[in-house]
Amino acid sequence: MTLRLPDQRLDHWRDRLPDLLSRCSQPIVDLDCGDWVLTCSDLADLCAAVSEAGHQLGRITGQAAKTVVSASALGLDASRSNTPSSRELQPNPVAKAPSELLFHHGTLRSGDHLQSERTILLYGDVNPGARISSAADVLVWGRLRGVAHAGCEGSTTAKIVALQLRPLQLRIADVVARGPEDLPQAGLAEQAELKDGVIAIEPAVIQSFQKR
Amino acid sequence: MSTTRTILICSGKGGVGKTTTTANLGIALARQGAKTVVLDADFGLRNLDLLLGLENRIVYTAQEVLAETCRLEQALVKHKQEPNLALLPAGNPRMLEWLKPKDMQAIVALLERQFDYVLIDCPAGIEDGFKNAAAAAREAVVITTPEVAAVRDADRVIGLLNTQGVQPVQLVLNRVRPKMMSNQEMLSVDDVTDILALPLLGLVFEDEQVIVSTNRGEPLTLSDSSSPAAQAYGNIAQRLQGEDIPLMDPSQARRGLRARMRKLMQTRIF
Repeated sequence: MTLRLPDQRLDHWRDRLPDLLSRCSQPIVDLDCGDWVLTCSDLADLCAAVSEAGHQLGRITGQAAKTVVSASALGLDASRSNTPSSRELQPNPVAKAPSELLFHHGTLRSGDHLQSERTILLYGDVNPGARISSAADVLVWGRLRGVAHAGCEGSTTAKIVALQLRPLQLRIADVVARGPEDLPQAGLAEQAELKDGVIAIEPAVIQSFQKR
Repeated sequence: MSTTRTILICSGKGGVGKTTTTANLGIALARQGAKTVVLDADFGLRNLDLLLGLENRIVYTAQEVLAETCRLEQALVKHKQEPNLALLPAGNPRMLEWLKPKDMQAIVALLERQFDYVLIDCPAGIEDGFKNAAAAAREAVVITTPEVAAVRDADRVIGLLNTQGVQPVQLVLNRVRPKMMSNQEMLSVDDVTDILALPLLGLVFEDEQVIVSTNRGEPLTLSDSSSPAAQAYGNIAQRLQGEDIPLMDPSQARRGLRARMRKLMQTRIF
């Protein structure tokens, strides 16, 4: 019996997990993580949820190397699946618009790298030495002091916004700029966007957050 | 379940004072009545025995204990002047080839049976040495100095400790120079805690006496030294045991001519 985590573009696995677990009938459950990148704590939570539902976790497969490494670090039986596994349609596919926002609560410490295809809203700081990348916008409700990359797949209209924008480096699409040297004005949220091929920083403009 | 506290003393950056802190803290805790063992987890470049002045009394090490060639009691080196403190010397560097987290856990499990505090002196870096030591610890104390590189490395280490579930993680700010801080030539305490976002367990001022004591193998906390560093380590030991002692204030450290003269005599730092 294989438990398949939902498509990243449709649902977060944490939301779908109770539902998926209720459909498991076998005592031993294999886990297909798809292209989810799971950390040790994610997998620990998954394991806990599986055992609480009265099942035992069997083999774990995933496409992302980090997921397999995290699983191995926890002592679980994990292996890499090379090709995207053909996904059976979930019974009762829920037709939802793909969620546009990844919300992350917590500070990114040096060495951490949070990446997503969706716009990221981070509630916390990005410490120097940490990185945050998105194919869309990067929004930091906190201090951005590390490296931020918006539009990392080429979108030149992507923005980086932070309550305190003092990054080591800013990247939008394939343009790179060093962060400003001077201290920010207290309480001024700033945004960075590409203007004539150059990254420009200005006070955050409220109107630009409306859905395009 | 033992109520032993197993604390990892780590930093990421090398040379910020892990071994010095482990030695002084071990002595301080022992003087305050706690049965303490310090474990040198740096098998490659071991220093803890030097700082405690016990290197010529080592017969067996952690390696023999793991291989069960000797009993734990035979390997433990008791400190002559402070009998509440014992040292488990590091094994030889070859052990790095095969040592796994479960080996460190096995050693610590043996130690936890007999001691109130197990202090693990972690090697610098975030590689296997650190990972093995962290696997065996329950709590951690991260040592850093008010320097950009040290804080950056400490941040990395704290992130790793969080992932491993080691908690609580506390911070010791070492080698603080109040004059440089007030001239803004050195990161302030707030600058450091701003980034690291950890409770400050203690603040230790830069003190030349540390160098002297290190070379002699006599930790500062062993004597009734009134050096600021010795006092700071003593305070840290008391705070670990739950006492509420106010932190030394770097900005207060330089007030008053008499205090300055006293400081000059003690630390010989100008």
